Amino acid sequence: MSREWLRRLAAPVLVLLVSVAAGAQPPAAPVSEDTVHEVATQLRCVVCQSLSVADSPSEMASQMRGIIRARLAAGERPAEVIQYFVDRYGEWILLAPRRRGFNLLVWLFPLVAVATGLVLVATIVRRWTRRRRDGVAAPVNVDPAMSERIRREMERGT
Amino acid sequence: MTADLGFGMTLVALVLAVYGGAAAGVGARTGRAALVESAQHAALGVFVLITACFALLTYAFLTFDFSVRYVATNTNLGTPFYYRITGVWGALEGSIILWSWMLALYTMIVVLRHRSTARELYPWALATMLGILAFFLLVMTVAAPPFQRHTPVPADGRGLNPLLEDTGMITHPVALYLGFTGFTVPFAFAMAALATGRVGDAWLALTRRWAIVAWYFLSLGLLIGGWWSYHVLGWGGYWAWDPVENAAFMPWLTGTAFLHSVMIQERRRMLKLWNISLVILTFGLTLFGTFLTRSGVIASVHSFTQGAIGILFLSFLALVLLTALGLVAWRWEVLRSQGDLDSVVSRESAFLLNNVLLVAAAFTVFFGTVFPLLSEAVRGVKVSVGAPFFNQVNVPLFLSLIFLMGVGPLIAWRRASLDNLARNFLWPVVLGVVAAAAAFVLGVRSSLAALAFAAAAFVLATIALDFGRATRARLRAGESLLPAMGGLVRRHNRRYGGFVVHLGILIIALGVTGSQAWSVQTEMTLRPGETAELVGYRVRFDGLTAVEESNHFKVVGAFTVSNGRVLGVLRPAKKFYPQEQSPIAYVDYRLGLKEDIYLVLGDFARDGRQATVKLQVNRLVSWIWIGGAVLTLGALLAILPDRRATA
Repeated sequence: MSREWLRRLAAPVLVLLVSVAAGAQPPAAPVSEDTVHEVATQLRCVVCQSLSVADSPSEMASQMRGIIRARLAAGERPAEVIQYFVDRYGEWILLAPRRRGFNLLVWLFPLVAVATGLVLVATIVRRWTRRRRDGVAAPVNVDPAMSERIRREMERGT
Repeated sequence: MTADLGFGMTLVALVLAVYGGAAAGVGARTGRAALVESAQHAALGVFVLITACFALLTYAFLTFDFSVRYVATNTNLGTPFYYRITGVWGALEGSIILWSWMLALYTMIVVLRHRSTARELYPWALATMLGILAFFLLVMTVAAPPFQRHTPVPADGRGLNPLLEDTGMITHPVALYLGFTGFTVPFAFAMAALATGRVGDAWLALTRRWAIVAWYFLSLGLLIGGWWSYHVLGWGGYWAWDPVENAAFMPWLTGTAFLHSVMIQERRRMLKLWNISLVILTFGLTLFGTFLTRSGVIASVHSFTQGAIGILFLSFLALVLLTALGLVAWRWEVLRSQGDLDSVVSRESAFLLNNVLLVAAAFTVFFGTVFPLLSEAVRGVKVSVGAPFFNQVNVPLFLSLIFLMGVGPLIAWRRASLDNLARNFLWPVVLGVVAAAAAFVLGVRSSLAALAFAAAAFVLATIALDFGRATRARLRAGESLLPAMGGLVRRHNRRYGGFVVHLGILIIALGVTGSQAWSVQTEMTLRPGETAELVGYRVRFDGLTAVEESNHFKVVGAFTVSNGRVLGVLRPAKKFYPQEQSPIAYVDYRLGLKEDIYLVLGDFARDGRQATVKLQVNRLVSWIWIGGAVLTLGALLAILPDRRATA
């Protein structure tokens, strides 16, 4: 539903944008394709599932690359070009959410996940090694179950 | 007619599966063997019926039976023979049949293999599998019925999604679904272990090989998906962090964690609770993935209520998780393992760390995938979470995992002495540092790429060191070189199978690193005779031709590629399908070990006087596919029957 809507909306908007961009800017100085690519990788192709403007083979993406090229040639900085698209399409156009406000959740989550995991493992390892150390203090006669286990492990080898 | 017959068979299969699941469950509880036997017959019946449904639907596709709605929406008179077969699972309804059929197949194999070897666990496992089958058959009857009458019968159908007209359509879904459904078997035995309270080693021993099989197929499915994306979708990449891809990647991550943590339980009788949880999580993620990709929830948080399928999957997922967690709580006392560790520096710790990283990566992918829904629900603002995010957060995790891949297999169990560490890791560390330096000298400026090379060299060295040492020991015992190596691999097939899989992953990682770090591209509009240039390649535009195919119209560009001498003519195209609004890009490429040349045809003038072409030189991508082949070898080696156990 919503993609269909976007597709329908996007075409006329783009035509308008291209003509505005083409009309407003003076003849372009050559722009580095690397910069165009760099900007395009951060933007979402509006008619695709999850491809960036840099990657998508669709006509829409090719037109959007054209806009990026034109705006860079007119002297805009990459951040300004990106802001230009955000102003028109909303945050949705960015392939990685900006690191502020509610979005911080998604950026911090991996850190929290890893940290929680590490703390958990550290606690468990500590507890288990401590139990071990307490056990060593006990008399050193090995119980039958243990010696059976040793025998089994020796047989298994590595 | 066909629709009614198919629907009838689905219904009977559903009834049989429900009965069989109940009979196996009651039989397991009361110990009445006759009931379990009856459930086995029911399982056979379900298998036969789903096979018949599948055959019937295929027949309907082959004979253009448009009285079946699903056939009419996914094929038309122009669809070539081959794609009429693969078209059977080209959309939701058909893929659910394929899925159920595989599940029924796995159930039959479980019956045949474990009926007499696992008397205690088997009836519960059978009950679980039949219960899950019943759910999928329910989906096939109420939510996504492949057999639905279409009246009036149209003269022609709508046609298959053009992107699915590719040979990858037979291998990719089959491998992926074999992987997805394969994890049902470990899950079923985990449930059996909980139900019987036998949470020790028996269920693990039974399911370890099953888990490897499922894991392997899932890996293969992901890799073929990458290849498909690379050569069909025409965007020059193999992995886009699309929700559909993430849905398959999450169970892969937790499944990988399980394959490793299993070893700690086998060796040290620890982590019973953890292993059961990982299996539940992995199975839950396969269901969640299907929910995510099939319910339409991805498009918008509000759209999934429109179809019954989202609600059904979500309810079933909740049922599965609640049941599983309930069972875990019930068996809490036996699951709590009396862990004991000798030292922090040990293989046990390395494995625990590996598990933390893998599960953290799975959660990261999960959260990133559902975050847009969360944002829409909470803030009412749509955001995208795509490749730039996932690459940034996952690359450090994956690099650490690769490093651990070198540490884990060589560090000593229980307590690694300083001597053990020096003996095993001194040279690999040196080699890793040398590799990083060499990468720097060769012009690698990305610190992540340099780190990746260092980690890869380190792991490679540990594998070589271990294998070399073991071979030398055998040589000293008087064997000659080749028999020594062969015997080693065969006798310790599990260990060396694991090493070979690691090697495959390493090669894939190199391919990914190389393609991310060094691929270049450009885009140019050319007139006939004009040339685009990129890193020493010259691409000359020769002209456009139009071709009429059985079900579409195609505009083909001819481009002569040379680098001093002529390498060949590449023919990227655009395909126009009557049922599609926008054309489909058809890429052409020349694969090489060092780099691929990859051409995408963009806009063109109708009179052929000019065409835009996107030219990419993708570095080292072929190594991803080669790594896949190596991984296959390793997985095969690892599932061979264990020689040591029988010797």
